[in-house]
Amino acid sequence: MNKFVDRPRFSCALGGALFTLRALARAIPIIHASAGCGYNLYTTGNAGAGYLGGGYCGGTGWSSSNVVEREIVFGGTDRLSEQIRSTLELIDGDLFVVVTGCMVEMIGDDISAVLDEFAGEEVPIVAVSTPSFKGNSYDGYDMLLGGLFSDYVRQGVEKRADVVNLLGLVPGQDAFYKGNLGEIKRLLERLGLRVNTFFGEGETLENLKNSSEASLNIVLSDVYGVKAADVFEKTHGTPYISLPLPVGAAQTSQFLLEAADALRLSREAAERVVADEEARYYDYIERIADIYNDVDLQRYAVVVGDANYAPAISRFVADELGWLPRLTVVTDELDGEETRRIEKRFTGWESDAYPLVKFDTDTSSIQRYFQDAWEPSGNERYYDSFSPLFLIGSVFERDLAAKLGVPLLTVSFPVTNRIVLNQSYAGYKGGLGLASDLLSTLIAGR
Amino acid sequence: MAKKIRQIAIYGKGGIGKSTTTQNLTAGLADSGKKIMVVGCDPKADSTRLLLGSLAQRTVLDSMRETGDNVTLESIMKSGYQGIKCVESGGPEPGVGCAGRGIITSIGLLERLGAYTEDLDFVFYDVLGDVVCGGFAMPIREGKAKEIYIVASGEMMALYAANNIAKGIQRYAQKGGVRLGGIICNSRNVDREIELLRAFSEELGTRLIYFVPRDNIVQHAEIRRKTVLEFKPDSSQAEEYRKLARSINENTHFVIPKPMTQERLEAILLQYGLMDMLDNYKI
Repeated sequence: MNKFVDRPRFSCALGGALFTLRALARAIPIIHASAGCGYNLYTTGNAGAGYLGGGYCGGTGWSSSNVVEREIVFGGTDRLSEQIRSTLELIDGDLFVVVTGCMVEMIGDDISAVLDEFAGEEVPIVAVSTPSFKGNSYDGYDMLLGGLFSDYVRQGVEKRADVVNLLGLVPGQDAFYKGNLGEIKRLLERLGLRVNTFFGEGETLENLKNSSEASLNIVLSDVYGVKAADVFEKTHGTPYISLPLPVGAAQTSQFLLEAADALRLSREAAERVVADEEARYYDYIERIADIYNDVDLQRYAVVVGDANYAPAISRFVADELGWLPRLTVVTDELDGEETRRIEKRFTGWESDAYPLVKFDTDTSSIQRYFQDAWEPSGNERYYDSFSPLFLIGSVFERDLAAKLGVPLLTVSFPVTNRIVLNQSYAGYKGGLGLASDLLSTLIAGR
Repeated sequence: MAKKIRQIAIYGKGGIGKSTTTQNLTAGLADSGKKIMVVGCDPKADSTRLLLGSLAQRTVLDSMRETGDNVTLESIMKSGYQGIKCVESGGPEPGVGCAGRGIITSIGLLERLGAYTEDLDFVFYDVLGDVVCGGFAMPIREGKAKEIYIVASGEMMALYAANNIAKGIQRYAQKGGVRLGGIICNSRNVDREIELLRAFSEELGTRLIYFVPRDNIVQHAEIRRKTVLEFKPDSSQAEEYRKLARSINENTHFVIPKPMTQERLEAILLQYGLMDMLDNYKI
């Protein structure tokens, strides 16, 4: 039997699929699941993602078949058929996606047979199987995108060398996904590329539908989006590279140069973009040199986050803020190969200030690792204490931060104590934003 | 103090004759004055046909589907041979929905509607095939049937299924009060069947509670939608079923079964079942 997870930082596959759809303009989910799945997932995802809201057709307005015992016993396909019909009638959308909950998958409802009834509809209807016994919300993102890549994205499209797709930032699980995608897109456009992020500002379903033009998929993650990119490659022949989510100048410059190399773009041109971005970046960073040294803003850091944020932010505070990250806890459910990929992100840092890295899904475990990361006090006359310390994590770390009497910045899911709009922690702008948020917390009393 | 209803579940491989045996057995018990309810736990809803003389019964789940929660006991419970109360759980069409959940739903509904009245001496659950999922184990969960009988024959697949069912019973028995009451052999005229069944039962830690011989009169009765006891009460087969009923009524030997490995099962089959057949394949 699997162990339970103490305060998980993810919801279920259906939840991941729903928030991915919520981020997709004019895509309408039709939930085929028990009553309650949609509402619960909405309240979890909304608040956890810094109040993302329901979007064009979401939240409490999500269409759901709300199956009850009768459908479980006799099968839920008639109910689903009725629900699709009424949704098409009532909701104006450009793409309808049936996503499924555990119970209808357990009783084996034949969803594709139901969709055959709607073959004559003008608007596309796609079904994606998203039972939560197959994975959590991060997996739900991959399942949903995998389904859309194979059943919705245009087939047989000619490739364009200057088009790329961005994958790997999971809407909702990453509260800052939109700001992050915007910044990475801006930077790749500076390299002369056209970029589909599917969920970014001003993007429409056309970006998704025509994404098969792309000559490369860039997965901004070592874990999320990799399976979807795999489906994309098999279906549309577009290869992918997996690069870590870049936060701050050092990581972003490295990211841009690697992306340029992968696309065989001019190295010189890429370096010019990097030089220009860095000049702008350090023009801002320079401002804080005085206050940083005057009041000593250097801190120890403990970073708790998902597989994207935990390595990126740990490296950012070490390489760019000159902080000392001593413990990083990656909170996802990862397999051995994924774990090894994340561990590799804790090498090659400029600062060489590597933290102890732990992989644990349990919130209550984090405090336990303090003893591994720092020698506890044995009532010595002189004790080098683990202080001053800064905690970067999620709202689940609030109790721990209060107990330790240290400041906390919430970055990874759930982020219920912030309103997140267009903020970003990715790229150069995101690095400036993160530096500003971290250091502002420290001088808030001035 | 309220009289305790003996709740009994009958399991066994599909087609082994569970329903026929259960109905003839309950007819025998009813003839001796016992008050009985038979609950068919099979989506095909054919567990009470011989007692009712028809298949016309509305199942619990049919009623629920049509009327929601406004099901009445009268609409789903029919009185059959000797006043035996007959209920069919029913279920979804083949290939859709979840028949196991259907069993859970309908037994729950029967309880809510007060079908388990104090005048009953026995409730029999006639359960489809193997215990394929949790739903089909519903009749043997806490507070339901405490006695189980497995119908088997000397054929290998019947014994294989019986052993498999014993695994399910063992699981529930370790947590609750359910016990195996014995194996009922519904004979297929396989060589040395009775010895094989005795050895098999002993290996399971139980006993062969009754050996029902094969007799075509059963088919004659079935085609007339009757139990043998109703069709030919003075036939020898009717007497066999009466004896089976007596054995069940008087049974006090209840055990937690010890299911065997596949290898052990095959060894028993080789030892008892196939010896005479090694050089004689005539049928």
